[in-house]
Amino acid sequence: MKSFNMPVGPLHVSLEEPMYFRIDVEGEKVAGLEITAGHVHRGIEYLTAKRNIYQNLALIERVCSLCSNSHPEAYCMALETIAGIEVPERAQYLRVFADEIKRVASHMFNVAILAHVVGFESLFMHVMEAREIMQDTKETVFGNRMDLAANIIGGVKYDIDAAQSAYIISQLDRLEPLLLNEIIPVYETNATIQSRTRGIGRITREHCIEYGLMGPVARGAGHGYDVRTAAPYAVYDRMDVEVITYPDGDVWSRAMVRLKEVAASIRLLRQCLRDLPDGATDAGPLPFIPAGEAVTKVEAPRGELVYYVNTDGTDIPARVKWRVPSYMNWDVLHLMMVGEGISDIPLIVNSIDPCISCTER
Amino acid sequence: MTFLKILWDNLRKGPSTEAFPFGEATTPAGYRGKVTFDAATCVGCNMCEHVCAAGAIRFAEADDGLHFVIWHNTCVSCGLCAYYCPTKAIKLSNDWHLSHLQQDKYTQLDHGVVAYKRCTSCGDKLLPTGSVLTQLAYKGPNPRAERLMDLCPECRRKASTRGEAI
Repeated sequence: MKSFNMPVGPLHVSLEEPMYFRIDVEGEKVAGLEITAGHVHRGIEYLTAKRNIYQNLALIERVCSLCSNSHPEAYCMALETIAGIEVPERAQYLRVFADEIKRVASHMFNVAILAHVVGFESLFMHVMEAREIMQDTKETVFGNRMDLAANIIGGVKYDIDAAQSAYIISQLDRLEPLLLNEIIPVYETNATIQSRTRGIGRITREHCIEYGLMGPVARGAGHGYDVRTAAPYAVYDRMDVEVITYPDGDVWSRAMVRLKEVAASIRLLRQCLRDLPDGATDAGPLPFIPAGEAVTKVEAPRGELVYYVNTDGTDIPARVKWRVPSYMNWDVLHLMMVGEGISDIPLIVNSIDPCISCTER
Repeated sequence: MTFLKILWDNLRKGPSTEAFPFGEATTPAGYRGKVTFDAATCVGCNMCEHVCAAGAIRFAEADDGLHFVIWHNTCVSCGLCAYYCPTKAIKLSNDWHLSHLQQDKYTQLDHGVVAYKRCTSCGDKLLPTGSVLTQLAYKGPNPRAERLMDLCPECRRKASTRGEAI
C-alpha cells in the first residue's frame, strides 16, 4: 500500500481556527500525525501583566469567543480569593446564569458544525437557527451576542428584572421543544449522522484518565468529571447539575453529551431564575487587592479551566496564567485519528471542540 | 423522515433573517453600542480612562477645562467605563451604526469639555461639582455644602475654619 504525507490546515480544518497537522497516510487510512501549534499566539498572558485588574476583565474576555464568560469568571474568583471578597448571593446566581447561557450557545454551535462537516447543511442551518434564540437572549440581557461582560471583581455588572425574567423564560420555552423534539431525535436516529459519527474516533475511559481529558470529550467516554459537581463554585452546590456521560467514546457520543448538556443547562437557567434571591449584585466599592496568589477552576463549555493569579499589592497583576481543557484534549487526537479514514479527520477534530485561541492565547 | 417534517415546517415559516438594510434591524434597549458622554455630570475622576482596556478614552487638562475624548474606532463596548462611572456621565447607547470608511477611522471621535469654574473668592479655576455628585455624597440637598461649592479647595478650607459655612 502506498504511504505519503499530507498537510491538513492550518486554516479551515473544521472550525475556522488554525490547527496544522502533518498526517501520515497509508492508502485511505491515517497512520500517524504531527500537530503544529502556535499560529494564533498573541501573548495575552504577558499583556495581562501590563494592564490593571479592571482592564484585564475586558482583555481576558477576548481570549476566546465561545467560552468568553468562563475566563473572566475564573479570573475574578481568583482576585476575590486573594482579597477575601464575599460575593453576594444574587451575584453568584447571576454568574451561574451567564455560565450556563454560554454553555448552551457553545455546545449548539459545535453540534451544528458537526452537521456541516458531515454535509448535512439543512440540519446545520436548523441548529444554528435554534441557537439564534439564545443569541438574541444574550443580546437583550447582556447587550452583546458573544462577549457578555457579566463579571466584575466582587460580583456581576448586569441584573435581571421581572420583565427580563419573563422574556428569558419565553425564549427558553421556544428553544426547549425545538431541542427535545426535533434536534436531539435527528442526531439520535438520522442515518446520515449515525453512519458518519458512530464508532469513529474512539477512546476509552482509561485514555481519559491517562491523558487528563476534560469536558464533553471525557464525559463522552464514560469519565464523568465535571468541575460543577467535583469542586462546586458560585452556587453550583445548590443547583441540580446533571453530569451526562455516554459510554462509547466516539464522535457521536461526544455530540450527544453536548446536546443533552444543552437540555440540562436550560433546566439550570430556569432554576437560576426561579431561585434568584434579592440583594446586591456586587460587593460594594472598589476593592483593594493585597499581595497574594490564588488558583481557581471553573467548568468552561470545553471542560476544566484553571486560573492562577499572582498579585503584588498594586492594581497590576504580577502574573496571570491559565490552563485550558483543549490543551489536553488535542493531544488525544493522536489516538483518535490513527486507523480512521481521511474524510473523518475534520469530524474528529470538531468532536474535541478545540479552542485554539484559548490554548495558544 | 423526522427531518422532512422539519424542512416542511421551515419552508412554511419563510425566511428567518432580518430585512436589514432594507428594513429596521431589531435592537434591544440594553444593547452595548456607541459610548455617550455628558460633560455636565462628569466630575473628572478619570476612572473611565483607568478601566478602559482599549485605551479609547483620554482626558487632557487645558486652560478652559478638562477635555474628554472617546475614540469609537478602538472602543470594544465592554461597558466598564459606564459601570465604574460614579455619576453615570458616561453611558453606552444602543446605537450600533458605527461602520465607516478606512480613511475616516481617526475621526471617529466624540469630544466633551468639562469647563472650569472660577472660585468666587480668589478667582482660581476649579472643576465644577455636579449635582449628581453632591446627591451621591450627601444623599440630598445640603445647604452648607452648597455654600462652599463655588470655592476652590483652599478657600473652602479657610471658609470652613472661619465657620462661615455652618
